[in-house]
Amino acid sequence: MARWARREDARLLTGKGRYVADIDVPGCLEAAFVRSRVAHGRLRAVDCTAARDVPGVLGAWSATDLPDLPPVAILDRLSKDDAVAGREWPALVKDRVRYPGEALAVVVGEDRYRAEDGVAEVNATIDPLPAVVTPSAALRDDSVRLFDGLSNIALRGEAGTPVDPSVWQDAAVVVEAAYRQQLLMPSPMECRTILAVPEGDRLTVWAGHQMPHRLARSLAASLRRPADRIRVVVPDTGGAFGSKSAMFPEYLVVAYLALRLGRPVRWIEDRLESMLVATRGRGQEQTVRLAADTEGRLLAYELTIDADAGAYPHLGVTLPMITASMATGAYTTPHVHATVRSVLTNTMVTYPYRGAGRPEATTAIERTMDLLGRRLGIDPVELRRRNFIPSDAFPYETPTGRRYDSGNYSAALDLALRTLGYEKWRAERSRRHDDPDALPLGIGVSCYVERSGGEAGLLHEFGSVEAHEDGTVTARCGAASSGQSHETLFPALVAEALGVPETHVRLIEGDTDEQPEGVGSFASRSAQVAGAMFQHAAGLLVQEARERAAESWGLPVDEVDWADGGVHAASGGPAATSLGDLVKATGPLRVEDRYETSVAFPFGAHVAVAEVDPDLGTVNVLRLVAVEDCGVVLSPATVHGQTLGSTVQGIGQALYEGITFDDVGVPCLASGFLDYLLPTFAEIPPVDIRHTRTPNPGTPLGAKGAGESGCIGAPAAIVNAVADALRIADPGLLQTPLTPDIVWRAARAPGHGEGVR
Amino acid sequence: MKPAPFDYVAARTVAEAVEALGGTGHKAQVLAGGQSLILEMRLQRVRPDLVVDINRIRELGGMSIEDGDLRVGALVRHTAFESAEVAPGPLGTLLSRAVVNIAHPPIRSRGTMVGSFGWAHPASEWCAIGVTLEAVVEMTGPDGTRSVAAGDYFLGPHRSERRPMELITSVRLPLLREDTGVGFLEHRRTGFCFAQVAVAATLTVTDGAISGARIGLANCADRPVRARAAERSLAGADIGPLPEGARLPDDHLFAHAGRIAAQEDAAPVAEPYADVEYKRQVIAVLVGRTLLEAAADQRARLAVREGRR
Repeated sequence: MARWARREDARLLTGKGRYVADIDVPGCLEAAFVRSRVAHGRLRAVDCTAARDVPGVLGAWSATDLPDLPPVAILDRLSKDDAVAGREWPALVKDRVRYPGEALAVVVGEDRYRAEDGVAEVNATIDPLPAVVTPSAALRDDSVRLFDGLSNIALRGEAGTPVDPSVWQDAAVVVEAAYRQQLLMPSPMECRTILAVPEGDRLTVWAGHQMPHRLARSLAASLRRPADRIRVVVPDTGGAFGSKSAMFPEYLVVAYLALRLGRPVRWIEDRLESMLVATRGRGQEQTVRLAADTEGRLLAYELTIDADAGAYPHLGVTLPMITASMATGAYTTPHVHATVRSVLTNTMVTYPYRGAGRPEATTAIERTMDLLGRRLGIDPVELRRRNFIPSDAFPYETPTGRRYDSGNYSAALDLALRTLGYEKWRAERSRRHDDPDALPLGIGVSCYVERSGGEAGLLHEFGSVEAHEDGTVTARCGAASSGQSHETLFPALVAEALGVPETHVRLIEGDTDEQPEGVGSFASRSAQVAGAMFQHAAGLLVQEARERAAESWGLPVDEVDWADGGVHAASGGPAATSLGDLVKATGPLRVEDRYETSVAFPFGAHVAVAEVDPDLGTVNVLRLVAVEDCGVVLSPATVHGQTLGSTVQGIGQALYEGITFDDVGVPCLASGFLDYLLPTFAEIPPVDIRHTRTPNPGTPLGAKGAGESGCIGAPAAIVNAVADALRIADPGLLQTPLTPDIVWRAARAPGHGEGVR
Repeated sequence: MKPAPFDYVAARTVAEAVEALGGTGHKAQVLAGGQSLILEMRLQRVRPDLVVDINRIRELGGMSIEDGDLRVGALVRHTAFESAEVAPGPLGTLLSRAVVNIAHPPIRSRGTMVGSFGWAHPASEWCAIGVTLEAVVEMTGPDGTRSVAAGDYFLGPHRSERRPMELITSVRLPLLREDTGVGFLEHRRTGFCFAQVAVAATLTVTDGAISGARIGLANCADRPVRARAAERSLAGADIGPLPEGARLPDDHLFAHAGRIAAQEDAAPVAEPYADVEYKRQVIAVLVGRTLLEAAADQRARLAVREGRR
């Protein structure tokens, strides 16, 4: 199925990848941070004296020791100004700890061992304050305030307009539910990394990162240095899933210390540190209300979101607005209203995590559709079909302010059901229903609409294509791969557009010196935005080549053709030259541009079959079908890998991943991945991935985002399957992750339905 | 996280190891497979001054049958038990059914059974089996060699009768009679993590009636537990036809024994995602199912023997 073999694999799979931790810099110091053991408290004192005496320790500093250490700068309207005002995020704690693990001091040593020995010698005195780790706790009138004199609500927002009360009153049926979308950890294989190397009056920063240019600008703004004095380079990066696009406090401290000490300083976040202080995703408390007529036609939908923004107002404050604006889902519901309160809590900041706002929206509407279907006695598939936005209604303006570009939702669902063998599984479900000794089995459907490419203001990418005298081509762009096959995909696209062999095209990305402006890799935008940019840039190169050839041959441009990687006269004859020879004859040939796309709305359908052991609460997913429509698929192998990986993360949200907290707000994660369970190979059911193809009308390339759909669609399908197996009437009993104890309690709850003993 | 500084000794003989453990007043730890110790050291929850590596002590590598026991040396890795041929009769079957529940293959290739006894984790499969079968833990210290019955050995989470200067050289597990069936079931959230509950059971059946039953529970108290009340409830019972289907009927004697184990024998400790009420439920269900598995194993063995006749 591989149209293009991944160029990255030979290097990455043979251990020849080069990550930040692998970069050998003479005299490099390693940083380790002193972490708060309390979730919330007033910092009275930090004493680093003893740490400085530890052999191999070069220095140890608290905020008091570094009065000119700047706070975290938040650029590009990542958050709302009035949310940020008065709520500064210091790079090291000054007087108040607001999340567990927040950095109290930094120690640098000759190696990480020495630095950690120094960390062990730092003494901090903190007077604990009550900690709040959920939005509902932080919203209580008597809740502690994270910032004295300021509300814990950092933002209020809405999408759509309030539903007239008469709609609810007049509706034949109204269902209500409350869902909790638990905090999740992005869990990339490589945690956060940064290496800052001072060189003359410049600072080179190596980081595993999704947005090198924004990191460079953020560091420059914080450190008050000209932007061109900071170069950011992204080497091989072991995954990000949204968690590596910011300038974190630790990054700022490391860059600051490298400049102050005049020596290279590196910080490699370890796993336990990452689990404590890396960004979280999801984190929403939702209530929903859905009205329909007796035929199941949707009349109105209301979604309220209390979102956990974490301890400081950052991107997590505005992130839930994506959920609000995507609340409509795949349906023609005439009235949709979503409201958001972004609430500060004593947890590390919430931030985009693969799916970023859309899994929350999809899960809310898709679980509620099943609830409605059960109430009305209408098959969940039939209920969805009655309400899909029809394929001839695009572009479609949703009541929550989105303009869906294209779609064919019923085709995706049909393909999913066909792939599964829906009728066969329905029969098996009935058979087991009638057999008291059999384990109950359920089928769950989830139809999603995604949003890819990014939001307005971030829908462009910069790049260039340059031809060389030897006929090879260099492609540059502002993206940075953390696992999206850029090295394979982008050269292949350029090669195809130019008609040259793929091996003649080389990609350079993730380097702010090579590519002065760039946006980055997030929001499933690699193919959709950067891919389209390269197709466009290759076209510009062809145009330039034709113009040059026309000039040298004394022909009008429209009489010069481009074919097979070279120019030749349309009339035939001897006037023809290869790209390399053209460069030799006419000088350097490089085109660059900024290319803007529109937002796209991929979609699809997931269907899960799950068997439940009601006596133990165990959920066994027997089959999962994921149908994704990401427009034109450029690289089937890449899209398959992205979909599968993302789907597994969706399984994680549904069944395994979650954080528990102790009485004082510290997460119970002392044993790392033994406390926070990711699905492993043994937990992955058979997953069938299929595609329908509705090209993106916004670009000639036709690709939409493909990176996130799996975790958007899968959770609701699995939860719906469990609810179906147990015939759970009260969806509030099934809050994710559906751990065995949760499912067992749901299965034995009184009145949960007939047929489960 | 990185370990704090420590000294390291690679012993070549048991005597060298014991000398190192006791000699200098060090806070010492024994390194065998290292699958728990190294992690704990990295987390600095264990900060030994001295690590005594026993991997070069040849005499600890063996496994043998002695006086009706399987004697397992301190360097025998978990993976050695993946084949039921590891010990004759039902014991080999029981060990092979249990071992696949221990973490995953890379860990099983390094970790050791004796190391599990040394670490004394309440969720350890081997420790529960040791208590079930009345295994014996053999230790050597400055004052010589001694043996402690598994039932007396475990004192609490990571606490045991082993003194800091003693080295566990082996564990002895009694072989099981051919008329005994075995079962082992474990309930955990993913293949990777510790058991929420695990149960080992043996059933000896004479003329259709239960003449011997052993039930051991992992992670059902602060240490491995023998479910003696549940065992007593089965004594002499007619085993009858075995129920089919995925779920044991509530009125079956094994389900009854399971409820007794959960209520009378277990002393569950609450954990995230498994409070005491849920753990008791799982114990009841799992004990019943494990007994069923043991009964089925016993029937299968009987059928093989009769088929041979």
